[in-house]
Formats: sequence, structure tokens, C-alpha cells
Amino acid sequence: MASLQRGHRAAGRHLLIAPALATLVVLFVLPYLNLFMISLLTPSHQAPYLHVFTLENYLGLARDLLTWEVIGRTLWLGAVTTVICLAVSYPLAYHLARASHRLRGVLMIMVISPLLVGVLIRTYGWMILLQDTGLVNQFVNALGLRSLPLMYNTTGILIGLVHVFIPFMVLAIAGTIQSIDPALEFASRSLGAGAWRTFWRVVFPLSMPGVVAGTTLVFVLAISSYVIPSLLGGFTVLTVPLLVVRTVTELFNWPGGSAFAIIFFVVSLVVIWSYLRAMGRASRAVG
Amino acid sequence: MIRRGERQWMNLTVAVLYAFLLAPVVVVALAALNAGTYLRFPPQGLSFRWFVAFANSRTFTDSLRFSLELATIVTAAATVVGTMAALWVVRFAGRFRTTLRVLMIAPLAVPGILTGIALLIFFYGLGWQKTGLGGLVAGHMLICVPYVFLITTAVLIRFDRTLEEAARNLGAGPFQTFWRVTLPLIKGGIISGAVFAFVTSYDEFNISLLLSGVGSTPLPIELFDYLRFSFDPTAAVAGTISIAMALVVVLITQKLVGLESLYFGGG
Repeated sequence: MASLQRGHRAAGRHLLIAPALATLVVLFVLPYLNLFMISLLTPSHQAPYLHVFTLENYLGLARDLLTWEVIGRTLWLGAVTTVICLAVSYPLAYHLARASHRLRGVLMIMVISPLLVGVLIRTYGWMILLQDTGLVNQFVNALGLRSLPLMYNTTGILIGLVHVFIPFMVLAIAGTIQSIDPALEFASRSLGAGAWRTFWRVVFPLSMPGVVAGTTLVFVLAISSYVIPSLLGGFTVLTVPLLVVRTVTELFNWPGGSAFAIIFFVVSLVVIWSYLRAMGRASRAVG
Repeated sequence: MIRRGERQWMNLTVAVLYAFLLAPVVVVALAALNAGTYLRFPPQGLSFRWFVAFANSRTFTDSLRFSLELATIVTAAATVVGTMAALWVVRFAGRFRTTLRVLMIAPLAVPGILTGIALLIFFYGLGWQKTGLGGLVAGHMLICVPYVFLITTAVLIRFDRTLEEAARNLGAGPFQTFWRVTLPLIKGGIISGAVFAFVTSYDEFNISLLLSGVGSTPLPIELFDYLRFSFDPTAAVAGTISIAMALVVVLITQKLVGLESLYFGGG
């Protein structure tokens, strides 16, 4: 009798996960499976797609040089953004992790607030700053120099991308640094190592899990960005998200756009997987 | 550990970097209050004319109202779904715990643009063409539930279950215990998650880009269209609203839960 009741109660509990699972399956898994199926159908002018199976979407894209040029550029932008973002965020993360409890509260507010303001508003801020007549160039002109082209090109996009993802990188690394015992740094310094040496040989290696998490996260976010390349690049620099959206919404080529999206998805997965394996191997060599 | 001179170098570097981090946000707020159309240094004067222009713009006020409406609906649904999922994963998941954790966060790991396209094409395939508010709610749920889940999970893990045991020992049923003991103690986490979900939906761009339509245009999309062609600071007013919201959310979360529950790399 008692075990029957227990069984009843146990079954009831599992209902808790039902809505979330339903949301995930219906709104996430199924649409992506559907996307893959659509990429194998034929585009048409009268309708979004025809129910005719074809591999031409993939073959045509693979043959087209533009495809690989855009993918290559997007991955390159992602990599450069990640490296610069890491360099900029690490000092902030270290400072945050080693700060006193009260100061950390304030710093966290400063780090997370930009996240919650939204990409669009922050990009708009950069537009005001980086334009030819923007604040930065007003300063440059006042120094007697010609205006710098900081917008509608790759430079502007990189500045925007690095900036937007700093909070993610900082949050990923700070947690790990906080778990590094300060006594280790102290020991290193008291044995005679300078600040840089202590950083490179003690702190940085120990913070690798956070660094790997942060760099992977920022890389994925950077290659997926739409707002920044479009507003700060002025659509002159084509990245995968821009091209995919254009193919789907302006050219109405759903199968083509889907195929491109999936090619990019697979390429990115391969890149990230290789990166994580290389990182895993490196940490095993050190450890 | 760190010598005095080094500490000053570190503080200087960090100060410059924080200035870099906060510059665009500050600039938008300044532009909204600026008397002139272009932000110049030194500033030309204080004025609320852009706030007036914003309030007079039918397009902007309509989409502001729509965004708030959308965010409210999404927040309500995401809070319920996310909290239930968090409870299950922390307490009843057993050996499925890691898998479910990854699954719950997965929508955040894929490009929003792709998710938007996948949903657009999926809804069309189901025969649902003018997706409007419903479609946007569906899309936003995908990215808001993970945030509620993350924050509520962090709070539940720290929760002291002996309090529940005590209540049960004193005769309370499971539901009563949840309602009168558990819920009041985790409500800080739930509120923080809800507030995070609200702002996430309000700011969401990528998914909205694909799913918005005539009459159902969230504010970020409206702003984007505006910024592609014009430049006056009416858009900056929308920015100041977002900035104010962000500050409120962050302060609430810090007060109720502590922002450290948001460490991504695992502390």
C-alpha cells in the first residue's frame, strides 16, 4: 500500500519538468530538425519552397567562393574579437575576483549593467562615438589630425564586438580566479618571482577552465552577431548572420538560407570542438 | 602579495577599462539629454526635447507598449516554467541532472538569428503565417526560461532542506510545506530570475527580427530600422529607458540574490 502511494507521488513530481521539456521539444528541437529538412528542398519563386528533394542547395553553396569567403571572414572576426576581448577582460576579472566583498558588489553592478542595456543601445552608443563627426573624431580633430575611419568597416565591428562581450568574458573568468588560493600567489612572490612571472606561471594556468569557458562563449556569440556588423559595418562587411537573414527575408530563398545556416553551424561546431580538444590536450601536458 | 606601485598600475588599467566598458552607455544617456542633434564636446546644453519627440512619435510609443506587453507575458510564463524545471533538476532529476542542465541552457548557445529563422519556417510549415504576438512569445520563451532556470537553480542549491524536513515532521503536507516554507525562502531567486527574464525579452533583437510583423514590432526592431537611416537622438531616449531598467534590475538582483550567482565558468 505504502509503496503504491510513493509511486504515485514520484510520478507527480516529474510533471514539474514537463512544461520546460515541452517548450524545448516543440519550440527548439522540432524547428531545428525542420530547418534541416527544408535545406533539402527546392527553392521556388511562387512559394517559400517546393516539396522536391535536392542536394543542390548544399552543392551550389559549396561551389560558390562567396560562401567560403563569408564563412572565413566571420570565423576570423570571431577569433580576433575573442583574443582582444580576453586581453581586455582578464585584468577586470582578476581585479573583480580579488576585490573586497563590498567593492565586488559595486564592480559586479558595473560589469552586468551593460549586459542588461541590450546590444542595440550599446551599438548606438558606439555609433555616436565612432562616426566621422562622432565624439572620438572630434577629439582627434581637436588635436589637429584628420578624422579616423572608425565606422562602416571592420575596425568599427571589432570595437563593437569586443566591447559587447566583455561582461561574458569577465564573468566566466572571475569565478575561476576566485577559487585560486591567494596563498599560491603569495608564495610565488615571496620566493622571488616578479608580478608578471607569477601571473604567467601561477595564476593564468590555474584560471584556464574559466579562460576556455569564456573564450568559447565569446567566440560563439561573436560569430552569431547580427546587430553589430549591420550597424557598425553598414552592411559593407558581410558576415554569415547578415547573409543568412538576407537570403531568407529579402531573397525569399528559404532552402538556400537554411542550407547556409547549417553549413555554418557544422563548421563552427568543428572549430569549437577542435579548440576544446587542443585545450584539453594542453592542460593535460601541463598538469 | 601585490606591491604598492603595482596596485596603482592595476587600478589605473582597470579604471581605463571600466571607462571603455561604460562609455557607450553614458554617451547614449548624454545624447538623449543633449540640446543639439549631434553630441558635441563640450555639450551644448540640457534639454528634454528628444523625450518630447519620443512621446509624440506614434511608432515609438506603440512599439514601446508592445515590448512591455510582450515582456510581461513572457516573464509570467517563463518564471513558472523555469522555476518548476529548476525544482525538478535540483531535487528529482537523479542521473539525468547534467543532461537536463545542458538542455535547459542550450537555446542560449545557438545563434539567435538561426533560432528565429528556424521558428519562422517552422510556424509557416504548421500553417501559422501571421504569427504576431504569439510567435514572439514563443521565441522569447526559449531564451528567457534558461535565465530563470539558472538563477533559481543557484538559489535552490543553497537552500537548507532541513527546514522542509522540520515542517513535514510537524505534520505539514508536501504542498503546504512548499507554499509556506520553501517558496517564501526562494522567492528572492524567483523574483531575480523574473526580472532578468523581463529585461532579456525587452532587449531581445535577433529572434524578434525574424518573427516581428506589421503591428507586432518590438521596440528594438523599431529602433534598428530607425538607426539605419536617421540619426537624431529620439532613439537615445529609448536607450535611456533601457539603461534605467538595467540599473533597476541589477540593483534588485544584487539585493535579493547577489550577482555572484551569475558566474558562468563555475566558481
